[in-house]
Amino acid sequence: MAVRFVGIMLLVVLAGNPEGRLQAHHSFAGQFDRSKPHTITGTVTKVEWLNPHIYLYVAVKDDAGKETVWAVEGAAPNGLYRQGWRNDTVKVGDVVTVEGWLARDGTKLMNMGSATMGGRKLFSGTASQEN
Amino acid sequence: MTNTIASCLAILFLMYASLHAQWVNVPPAKIPRTADGQPNLSAPAPRLPDGTPDLSGVWRPDNTFEGEPANFAADLRVDAPFQPWAKALYDERKTGMRSKEDPSAQCLPQGVPRVNAAPGQWKLVQTPEYIVIIYEAFGILWRQIFLDGRELADDAPATWLGYSTGKWDGDVLVVDTKGFNGKIWLDLLGKPSTDALHVIERFHRTDFGHMDIDITIDDPKAYTKPWTVKEHVRLLPDMELMEAICNENNRSLEHLPGDISR
Repeated sequence: MAVRFVGIMLLVVLAGNPEGRLQAHHSFAGQFDRSKPHTITGTVTKVEWLNPHIYLYVAVKDDAGKETVWAVEGAAPNGLYRQGWRNDTVKVGDVVTVEGWLARDGTKLMNMGSATMGGRKLFSGTASQEN
Repeated sequence: MTNTIASCLAILFLMYASLHAQWVNVPPAKIPRTADGQPNLSAPAPRLPDGTPDLSGVWRPDNTFEGEPANFAADLRVDAPFQPWAKALYDERKTGMRSKEDPSAQCLPQGVPRVNAAPGQWKLVQTPEYIVIIYEAFGILWRQIFLDGRELADDAPATWLGYSTGKWDGDVLVVDTKGFNGKIWLDLLGKPSTDALHVIERFHRTDFGHMDIDITIDDPKAYTKPWTVKEHVRLLPDMELMEAICNENNRSLEHLPGDISR
């Protein structure tokens, strides 16, 4: 428990690291809709720790118990590494809540504005660059 | 309970300290330090043995938009002096609805001078005869600036980063770059460029930790007259570059609007 607490505290501390600014290679407005904020909570089924953006795949159950897998686009791995994230910071089976914005094309894709695990914020920042 | 919290804080401190010793954060030897060991970023700009300003270091753009590093032209909120066709194209691109066509979104190079202001750091290595800049964003690009007095090459192949020569004007390095391929979006909003693009950058390291770059865009096919913006970059004193191969998993492209065949 104490280790878990320390790990989460560490990420909170590192989120304030000004050298850990995140990298983006495309327009935010082209891919996501700032007028459509969205929040999901679910179980991580896959993690892609790859350039140019990390992806989390999160299985979300609706009230009827039907499961939908969302793709969540995060920041670039180097920026996250410099903030203290590692490729196993979020693992398959972890339950996460992601707040962000929906994709414009209507697919089950969202941007990761922030993520929380165990009720504590893991990360905040945009995954792509504002126009 | 008190002991648990104290243990947590002690472990937290050790983990934090160890992270600062991670390989990307190894403190270089030549950086001046204050009495408490912090980098002294307001110390005088360093010089080579012959007195020439030394621009070496790992730099990061300081132009920000909503708190994030932004394009070099972020401060240019008034329109550039567009030619009519360039204005029409820019008006379409700036909506974001053609953002798939941005070379950066396709993991292609951002080009000069946009790459200087890309989110991401770059490392400048200086000798008396040339400068090499290595860009982390977004695929480890490199650029050479020749200081040996040669002229700009007329027969250089057209490229994303062009062909650069530099001369010292007092403490300011004036860099001329030509030989562009005409495909560069000058910024994320989509200011166009053509193969007539000529970029003049004036690098001035004002102190150890800060450098101003005055950038003039001279592209008579796209703009009615040259225009200039100022970019600020700051030294990252305890930072190293990392590999970033943009094309290893570029899933964004299938979700971005636009037509890359045009």
